[in-house]
Amino acid sequence: MASKTTDASATTDETAPWYADVLASIVDAGRRLTTVLTHSSMYLVCIAVAEVATVHAALSIGPTPAPVVVGLVAYAVYAGDRIADAERDERTCPERSAFVARHRTLLSITSAGAYGVAIALSVTGGPLAVGITLVPGAFWILYASAWFPTLSARCKRLKRVFVVNSTLVATAWALAVVGLPIAFANAAVTPLVVVVFTYFLVDTFVNTEIPNVRDVEADAQDGVYTLPVVLGVQRTRRVLYGIDVLLVALVGTATLTGLLSVSVGVAILVGLGYALVLAWFVGRTTALGRLSIACEAKHLVVFGVLWGLTAIGV
Amino acid sequence: MLSPPSVPVLALLGAIAVGSSAGILAWRARPEPGAVPLVWLLVGQSWWATCIVFSLTAATPAETLWWTRVAWCGVMLVPVAWVLFALEYTGRDHRITRRNVALLVVVPAVTVALALTEPAHDLLWIEQAGVAADGTVTVDQGGLWHAVAAGYTYALGVLGVVPIVRLLSSRATVLRGQSAALLVGILTPWATNVLYNFDAVSIAGTDPTPIAFAVSGVAYLGAIDQFDLFDANPAPTWRAKQYLFDHIHEGAIVVDGHDTIVDMNQTGADILDVAVEEALGADASTVLPIDDGLLSDGGKDVLTMGTATTARSYDLSVTPLTDRHEQTLGHVFTLHDVTDYRRHQQRLAVLNRVLRHNIRTEANVIQGYAERTEGEAAETITERTRRIVELGEKGRDAVELFEGVTDARATEALERVLDRTLADARDAFPSVTFRLDPPDVDERVVVPDALTVVVANLVENAAGHNVGTDRHVDVYATVTDDVVEVRVEDDGPGIDDEELRVLSSGTETPLSHTSGLGLWLVKWGTECVDGDLEFASDSRHGTTVTATVPREYEPGGIAWGRRSRPTT
Repeated sequence: MASKTTDASATTDETAPWYADVLASIVDAGRRLTTVLTHSSMYLVCIAVAEVATVHAALSIGPTPAPVVVGLVAYAVYAGDRIADAERDERTCPERSAFVARHRTLLSITSAGAYGVAIALSVTGGPLAVGITLVPGAFWILYASAWFPTLSARCKRLKRVFVVNSTLVATAWALAVVGLPIAFANAAVTPLVVVVFTYFLVDTFVNTEIPNVRDVEADAQDGVYTLPVVLGVQRTRRVLYGIDVLLVALVGTATLTGLLSVSVGVAILVGLGYALVLAWFVGRTTALGRLSIACEAKHLVVFGVLWGLTAIGV
Repeated sequence: MLSPPSVPVLALLGAIAVGSSAGILAWRARPEPGAVPLVWLLVGQSWWATCIVFSLTAATPAETLWWTRVAWCGVMLVPVAWVLFALEYTGRDHRITRRNVALLVVVPAVTVALALTEPAHDLLWIEQAGVAADGTVTVDQGGLWHAVAAGYTYALGVLGVVPIVRLLSSRATVLRGQSAALLVGILTPWATNVLYNFDAVSIAGTDPTPIAFAVSGVAYLGAIDQFDLFDANPAPTWRAKQYLFDHIHEGAIVVDGHDTIVDMNQTGADILDVAVEEALGADASTVLPIDDGLLSDGGKDVLTMGTATTARSYDLSVTPLTDRHEQTLGHVFTLHDVTDYRRHQQRLAVLNRVLRHNIRTEANVIQGYAERTEGEAAETITERTRRIVELGEKGRDAVELFEGVTDARATEALERVLDRTLADARDAFPSVTFRLDPPDVDERVVVPDALTVVVANLVENAAGHNVGTDRHVDVYATVTDDVVEVRVEDDGPGIDDEELRVLSSGTETPLSHTSGLGLWLVKWGTECVDGDLEFASDSRHGTTVTATVPREYEPGGIAWGRRSRPTT
């Protein structure tokens, strides 16, 4: 047995392919990149930028600084949220908590700088753009801190109210994603804008509720009434199916009536199909963290399809 | 959407970015002292800069004027926030009351109201001055209230700068860095504004102050990030000084150069039996019962307050307060309660008399009767009586040490101390061989009387407890620039470890105690002059005790060890 082991070891060393080290390095670098993208919420920045780009395409708005502003705000708010929740995350997301603790100063300064630059850029879009840029941050301040004790207490109570919490988060982000391009382009609010806003509002709501499946026990203990806490995981899945089907109906109708361009309509419908598939996994997988990220990445799918369709001239 | 931004607009956008970032960092630092006011200050700056961007890029003159009016919200927020920040950051937050804040915002509120209602009056007018070459509408502002608002803003700026400037002389590098960065942060836009108001500076026909906020934003960021603005905070320092003044056990009264009482702590008021509010502003001579006027030379006196039965004594010290030119600004009177100390001294005086006089008298009587009889019993009585007298003398030495009769200021030449001690020891212990190794110095070295007690007891202890047939006690004295060291060596049985342990602990119990007072006198005498004592003892080589006393010891500010004489 011993000689066999020795032989095997020697054989492995001798026959190791020349590119093994390179591959190992690439895999290692990929893991590190994934860790940084995931824990620092950088992946959310990419998703936010893709969402705003989709809005530009849907509303036929030319290039504006809106994707950059929304990306910076997304990074600032989520990195700030990670810093504020670092202690709480020790229990539910120990790896993320350790990452934040290790890079706390860097995350703090870069996230503050990101929001500062976002505000400055938004000034070039006029007062409305500034106001919309401030909404996610202001909302986060009220929602997550006690700067205005009375107001914050009310907001924290709102956080416990069924559906209201996710709706508020969804409203803030849908407003930023859809409102900023309009503000920068000084575009009018049309029925198409209403459709696009509704889509992003409802879709963000769904993406907010899916991570709640993972936190169902902690939320129940804290008295936070989310969909999974009130309805249970099985019924939550069915509700998500229902919401996605309603969105299919909305987007399909808007596309059929010509309100939404074919390429954008098809891209969003593909994304909704992707979301329906993912909804099937709710309550059926233990990898809830990955499921949440996959759901949020739906906008990358939409953007990818849209880019592909545009490229082939649809 | 804006057309390509001009240089002033780019600078303003930079100011907004930096100011907003610093504001977010400050917000995260809550509830550290100064964090919240700094957030408001940076919000004010960013608001002001944002409004000026909108003003510069407005499509119509009316829009330009509107944004100029709205900018006044930020203009007036900045100085108020600055003062609040300075007070909170330096620990003077007790001055931030609702009433004071309400008073602070009266002028800003009126200013903003006048700016927003500007066309209806000319107290604060804002009007189009012209159109620049690039099409930018230039604005002119003025009016009576404009001058009031400017003056008020500068006054608040100075008010906030004062406590921050004091930190520039802090011993902590980080606090000096913080204060320097904060001063750069506030003085840059203020200086710019002054220059603008005196028509010395104008960029695109508008107030360049918000552009200077780019510099101040960087300065605040530097203070937060590089100088740990919210991690190393001076706020407790000022409070601690005030706390110490208010809570020290001594009464403290501060008088100015005209002998008017300007501050007093509660202990001082209690001692003098006056209310603080009544005493403040009063002439010192009406409150302090001093007939000869104020002692201005840093002298001391004893003040007795109360009736004959409740009288308490206070050591009254007067310390002059001077400015950097050594000009006297006033005095601090401190009243230290010495009643218990004086009572203690009285008790020691009685004990001293008893030990010095009564014991010796009674012992003499006993010895007298013992001498009338013969035999072993009489010899025992005589011997024991002698030991009682010795014990009494040691007790007296101890009392004198505590009383300060063996005054640390009273000195004697080291050589004389050693010679006399050895001569006395040779008389008392004729069978012991004594050897002295005097210090090898040319100067005359003086030592306090307390060391005389120490050396005498060390030598006596070494000789008295040495029980061999060939007994030796060696004394070595060494003098360096800093210390005088006296080492006493014997070849006796060594000091018992238990005795050394008791001596080290400083307390005795009925079951754990030393054999007499000698070693205690050595310990106390050394301690009286801030010296060190070291024991090395074993049964084969005897005991070595080293007493080391500093040459620079200054009891009551008087050095005793440097009275050298010229060598002959």
